[in-house]
Amino acid sequence: MESAGSEKRLQTLFHELKLADGRVAPEFVWVWNRAQISPGSPRGFKISLAVATALTVVALSSLAFWWKNWQPTQRSNQAVVSRPVTPDLTPAPRLATPDPALPGSAAPNVLVKFARRNVKVVARRHRELNTTNVATQEDVSISSWQSPTARLLQSPADNVLTSLPQLDRSLTNLKTFLPDTPQ
Amino acid sequence: MNQKQMDIPELQAALEKLHVASFGWALSCCRRDRAEAEEVLQTVYLKILEGKARYRGECQLKTWLFAVIRKTAITEQRKRLLRILRLTAASNPAPERNPFVAEPAAAFERSEAQKQFQSALRRLPARQREALHLVFYEDLSLREAADVMGVSIGSVRQHYERGKKHLRESLNREELDYGISWQRKETPDAVS
Repeated sequence: MESAGSEKRLQTLFHELKLADGRVAPEFVWVWNRAQISPGSPRGFKISLAVATALTVVALSSLAFWWKNWQPTQRSNQAVVSRPVTPDLTPAPRLATPDPALPGSAAPNVLVKFARRNVKVVARRHRELNTTNVATQEDVSISSWQSPTARLLQSPADNVLTSLPQLDRSLTNLKTFLPDTPQ
Repeated sequence: MNQKQMDIPELQAALEKLHVASFGWALSCCRRDRAEAEEVLQTVYLKILEGKARYRGECQLKTWLFAVIRKTAITEQRKRLLRILRLTAASNPAPERNPFVAEPAAAFERSEAQKQFQSALRRLPARQREALHLVFYEDLSLREAADVMGVSIGSVRQHYERGKKHLRESLNREELDYGISWQRKETPDAVS
């Protein structure tokens, strides 16, 4: 009984509210005309355009960053392949391809493999650098090597031995080639 | 009107008939803010004119229109909130508008009973307020209210019942604070 009474009371209040709203409602023609002359919604378009542009920029920059980091690793891998194989070399790392059979664990596996490969590649590059340095040092030492007995072959008359008399010159000129000869 | 697509002049005539009810519904969706309700209604008409909101005759025009108004009001409220946040970050916050002061024409709303009723309505959760408005104010069935709100009929029934209970409790509490009780008003003999 009380519930029915309060429901009726609510209905009355809502009805009064409806009547009051009807009195303050703007005219339809006024709202309709305002809608017709309003310039649409360019703001929404601009926002969506800005969001799309921002997303594209982010995607492109991340792609560029990834490409920049990826290229040296690839080059070092190629260098490893072209280098003669030595027994102490570790085997070339396999590419991190996610196992399609394990969809849930694919992403972490790829990350772990990628990290391992990076560590291996860095170590290999260190080794390569060390090997190159040693080879360069050896080259320098060979080019400047001298026999320990080279000094014994040196004499004061080295000039005579290293020069040749010219046959179309006069005797006086020839004599000039002979050391200790009065001219 | 049902199962029929309309061209713009036809739709305009139908919208004119529903205009007052649409404005009341927009007011309810905008927590009785008249300026905001007008803006929402204008945006809805603009959507209809631009073809962004198209009536395909799949349901009653009133149900469709009310659903569009509800969605637009939610979107506008979000935008307004963002604008307020931006303004608050930039400068001092704008003082909150009092709808009773902002509507000088509505002298009726200054009556205590309506003030209490509207303040109790505002305190209700949005879904409950919407369900009550559609049933009591617009005389829609629960099925039609469910279509407008985009929820199941069971859900609307629940919102409707809870809303009624909360509104009743809230009004009772406020009137007790004010020194009047419904029971005492309705049954004056019971008061000694």
